[in-house]
Amino acid sequence: MKLVGDFYAYLWPGVTMQEMMRYGNNCNSYLVANALPKSKHILVDPGQVVNETRQKCLDRLISEMKKDGLKIEDVGLIINTHAHPDHYGASEEIRKMSGAQVAIGKEENEFLKLASGEMSQALKSMGFEMPEIHPDLYLSEGELRLGKDLVAQIILIPGHSDGHIGIYWPKEKIFMGGDLVFDGSTGRVDIPGGSAEALKASIERIAKLDIEYLLTGHQYSSPGIIKGKEQIKHNFEIIRREIFPYL
Amino acid sequence: MAEDNEKVKSALEIALEKAQKLGGMSSDEKQKLKDENLESVGLALSKRYLKGLPVRDVEIELGKYKEDQKTIVTYLLSYLANEIDMGDPDGAERILEAINHFAGAPAAEKIGSLLNEYRSATEKAWQKNQQTLEAAKWRELARLGISGSAIKPAIEGSPEWVEARQQLHSDYQKRLEGIKSSLQAL
Repeated sequence: MKLVGDFYAYLWPGVTMQEMMRYGNNCNSYLVANALPKSKHILVDPGQVVNETRQKCLDRLISEMKKDGLKIEDVGLIINTHAHPDHYGASEEIRKMSGAQVAIGKEENEFLKLASGEMSQALKSMGFEMPEIHPDLYLSEGELRLGKDLVAQIILIPGHSDGHIGIYWPKEKIFMGGDLVFDGSTGRVDIPGGSAEALKASIERIAKLDIEYLLTGHQYSSPGIIKGKEQIKHNFEIIRREIFPYL
Repeated sequence: MAEDNEKVKSALEIALEKAQKLGGMSSDEKQKLKDENLESVGLALSKRYLKGLPVRDVEIELGKYKEDQKTIVTYLLSYLANEIDMGDPDGAERILEAINHFAGAPAAEKIGSLLNEYRSATEKAWQKNQQTLEAAKWRELARLGISGSAIKPAIEGSPEWVEARQQLHSDYQKRLEGIKSSLQAL
């Protein structure tokens, strides 16, 4: 689904409880079309290949992209906001199809090392199967220049996970926040690497940005995209008031 | 409870079957069977040790086997030595403790110093290759239209580094195998 300009959104069904039950868990994916030379695209959070309810998440993403005239083979860069399998799971599969470069937060890679070692049993018990990922580049706080004139700010937003990154497109006033905030709620902090205090600080930091489109990581019984400065401001106020006391 | 009884019966039946078979076995076959049993005891003990069984409790278990202790210890050390991961010297510490206890300090020190040498050689190779590999990755990313201060090239997975590391690993693994063989000959 075209969002604005070259930005596209592929939202995983889950606005209603029925959808959540039927489709299970997967993240929303976002795409910036033709951002790189040779008309290559940037894909943020590819989601899983297949999820816990046996939904073919990657097939669905490919099919939704096709409807917009975009091919998975033309993905040149995959940016993962964090190292949870429902976000990065299909990275290596898409790399095989496209030869794309794979990026993730620097600190998140440390989590991946632990996840494949001493933490693997604990994560398995929480339902986390960790697919392989071999990043080509790490991202941390700073500027990301893409193609001729596209600039994104990478912002470290720990809380849901230790090395979670957000991608802010200042010119377009778009923020891709992974599992930082949703419509009326926040990412969970009870997964290894999570921290309530860090999440609150990250949210306060992002709340100061000039954002017109807040693109969230999931539609947990709520829309995945929050549009408009006032709506976004209101969402942060609700989160401060209703969610912060319980974090 | 009924299930437990079945398990007990079944184990008893198996033991009786084995005893019956023993009658028809040659002395070589009997020895082979005995060795297999001792090997399985060594393997089981090594697994329990790696899961946290204290070395004194391993000694107590070994005490049950009197004249076969030495054979079991050989198997135990052999399995433990196989669990040594060249890339994880910290994880090898517990194994080295057991080797130190059962095979003596020289064997454990030999393996310990080999692991340290491997770690140091890997670090040296990393320092030597890091700049070149990073520069190559920066060039590749620039060609793909990706740049900026947020980027840190991830070169641990680059084919050149993987190959260099594998070569080092293979060289040191051969040396480790030599030491492992000397443990088996104890």
